[in-house]
Amino acid sequence: MPSITDLLYAFTEWLRTTSLVELSLWISNLPISLWIGTHFFVIPIMQTLHIFAIAAAFSSVLMINLRILGLTGTHRTMNQIVRRYMPWIWWALVVLVISGIGMIVGEPIRELINPIFWIKMVLVIGVILFSIWFQTKANRHSPSWDVRGGAIGMRAGAVFVIILWCAVMAGGRWIAYAPV
Amino acid sequence: MNLSALWESIQGSSLGVYIAESTWAFPTIETIHVIAIVTVIGSIAIMDMRLLGITSRDNAVTAVSRDTLPLTWIAFAFAVMTGSLLFVSKATSYMANPWFLSKMVLIACAGINMMILHSTGWKSVRSWDTNTPVPRNVKISAALSLAFWFTVIFCGRVIGFTLGIYE
Repeated sequence: MPSITDLLYAFTEWLRTTSLVELSLWISNLPISLWIGTHFFVIPIMQTLHIFAIAAAFSSVLMINLRILGLTGTHRTMNQIVRRYMPWIWWALVVLVISGIGMIVGEPIRELINPIFWIKMVLVIGVILFSIWFQTKANRHSPSWDVRGGAIGMRAGAVFVIILWCAVMAGGRWIAYAPV
Repeated sequence: MNLSALWESIQGSSLGVYIAESTWAFPTIETIHVIAIVTVIGSIAIMDMRLLGITSRDNAVTAVSRDTLPLTWIAFAFAVMTGSLLFVSKATSYMANPWFLSKMVLIACAGINMMILHSTGWKSVRSWDTNTPVPRNVKISAALSLAFWFTVIFCGRVIGFTLGIYE
């Protein structure tokens, strides 16, 4: 049976056969990419913005979902919590996308020809779609469990959202360690 | 024993060698470190922004503190534990790296800033807990806190690009 490393190698080999290679090379020759490559602090600054935006998004995700679990913010209604934290998640996502694109432009081959990068992208789309579906459902049911916390299904969903976000962050860190 | 011998002995310990040589240990510990530190900074930012009057103005300062502080401390404990494990694996490289040393100083500054806030401005929190404006010294402390943590992250990222080049 192939190991995870073997599968990741195979994924990388496949990525190398796609037009992503030409795309990466084209991006890496753009003036902005060359400029980023010759200015040491640009990448760490973009990464810092990316991490700060993750901090805003993830702590907001925690405040909403820990409220569903009845662990924090129980003196406020679910509606108040969602109104306070939801816009921060979406605005943080905007910053994450912009800083993420900046990092791709700066190091296109490192990102685009990287199996972990694409696994992370799938997880990001997964977390966004699940959050939208789950939040709509939670908003509809919230008045009935304002006092304590959500029903068991809602609680499981809350734990799942937190785990998904952790998986996205793990993906982000492991991009640097992908066996390419 | 001089300090450089101490860092070398830490790095040469069985734990240090194991983390340095394992293919999965360092990235896994680093991943937990990142998740912990974004939780620390995110929850602190929620509190700081309430003190600055940017968000949660309809919620009492002490209520925001009650909701965020346990999360901050739990995540901070994880960040320190995982950070120590990362340090053990390359102690001499970290101690020779000015960005690592700056990060440690900035974390200390953030801690001192918090202690000053709690021993001064915070004592009168009952009088500005809800609708009244937050005192200026408390706001300055909150702004400093955000600035310190932003630069902590920045130094942390630069360490990743500079580890080993100052030895």
